[in-house]
Amino acid sequence: MIDWPSRYGRHVLESVDSTLDEAVRRLPVQGPEWILAKRQTRARGRRGRSWSMQIGNFAGTLILPVAEPPALVALRSFVASLALREACIAATGREDVFSLKWPNDVLLRGCKLAGILLERLDQDHLAIGIGVNLVAAPRPDQVEPGAVPPVALNTIGHKIAPEDFLNLLADAYARYEDQFTTFGFAPIRAAWLSHAARLGEVITARTNQVEMSGTFADVDETGQLVLETPKGRVPIPAADVYF
Amino acid sequence: MTNTPHDADVAFIRALAELLQENDLTELQVKREYGEDDSLNVRVSRQKGQMTVMTEAPAQVMQAPAATLAPAAQVTPAPAEKSSDDPADHPGAVTSPMVGTVYLQSEPGAPAFIRVGQQVSEGETLLIVEAMKTMNQIPAPRAGTVKRILVDDGTAVEFGAPLVILE
Repeated sequence: MIDWPSRYGRHVLESVDSTLDEAVRRLPVQGPEWILAKRQTRARGRRGRSWSMQIGNFAGTLILPVAEPPALVALRSFVASLALREACIAATGREDVFSLKWPNDVLLRGCKLAGILLERLDQDHLAIGIGVNLVAAPRPDQVEPGAVPPVALNTIGHKIAPEDFLNLLADAYARYEDQFTTFGFAPIRAAWLSHAARLGEVITARTNQVEMSGTFADVDETGQLVLETPKGRVPIPAADVYF
Repeated sequence: MTNTPHDADVAFIRALAELLQENDLTELQVKREYGEDDSLNVRVSRQKGQMTVMTEAPAQVMQAPAATLAPAAQVTPAPAEKSSDDPADHPGAVTSPMVGTVYLQSEPGAPAFIRVGQQVSEGETLLIVEAMKTMNQIPAPRAGTVKRILVDDGTAVEFGAPLVILE
C-alpha cells in the first residue's frame, strides 16, 4: 500500500470540464494539490488540440505553488515525466517497456501512452495536467499524421483504476519534486536521459515555422533538446518531436 | 559600426565567463560602446552550476548552431541602429523571461491577446512563451497602451528579448 505524500492535497471529482480549468478556479492554494476527474467534458491538449477522454482513463492536474523563474519552472516537464514513468512501472511491474520522449511524453513500447501539459497559471502557481490512456487509446486516425501512434496501458495486460493510479503517481511525483528542489536539475536530467527513447538516433523537431532533423545528442543543462546537425549542435527550447 | 570583429566579441565573452568562474560570481553585466551607433551588451550568469550568456540581439535558435561557450547563446553584436530606436532600451519594453516560442493567441484560430493601440490592465496576458511544453502567460507588468508588438506568432525568442512596448 502506497502512502499518500504528506503536504499534497487530493481531490477526486466525478465530472469536470477540464482539470486544468478546475485548477484555475481553485487558486490560490497554500500547498500542492492533485485534482482527479473521472470524466472530463472539455479535455484539452497543447495549443488547443483536443484530448480524447474515455471513462477509465486517467485525467489529473497537479497545482504546484512555485517561486522560481520561468526557465526553471519549465524543467518540471522532466520531473513530471520521470514520475509518470515510475508510476507506470509501479502499476505494471514492467520496467523494460517504458521510455521518454522530449520533453515529457511517456512511451509504451515506443507508442504514446500519456500526455503532459504545463501551464503557468499566475506568478505563483504552475499546473501540470496529465492524461494517461489506462484503458483506451484514440484510434490512429484520430491523431495527427506523423505523430507517435497512441497506446493504452491495458494492452500489456494490466488494468488499474484512475484513483489507484493517482496514488502511485502522487508518491512518485513527490519524491522527484523533492529531488529537484533539493539537488537541482542535474540528477533529474541524468535520470531522464537514461530512459530517453532514440538517444543517438536521427529525429525531427518541428515548430510551426521551422523543421530540423539531426542526431538526438543531448538534453542540455537548461532542458533544451540538442540536435547534432551538419551545421553543429542546435539547442531547441520548444518543438514537437517526430521519430 | 557593423564590422566589429565577431571573434573579438567571442573572446571578450569567454573572458567574462572565466572571470565569473574564477571569482565564484553569479552574474556579470557589461555594456561595451564601440561607437555612437554600435554597442555590445552582455550578461553572463550562473545558476546551480550552469552558465548562461545573454546578448542584446535575439538569436534565431532553430536556424544556426550555438556558440560553444554556452547553450542557447548566439554571440551577435548589437545592430547598427541608433540606440534610441532599439526596443530593448525602451523604458516600456516587456521582455521575455525565458528562451522559448512566442504565441500571440491562446490557441490557433483564437483572437490575439492584444493588438496595437489596445489598453491593457496590470496582470492582463500579453502573450505566451512556451518552452518544454510549459506555457508561460506573460502578464502586463503595469497598466498601459500597447504601442508595438515586436514578435511574430510562432517565433523563437531569447531570454531578455523585447516582446511588447507598453506606454
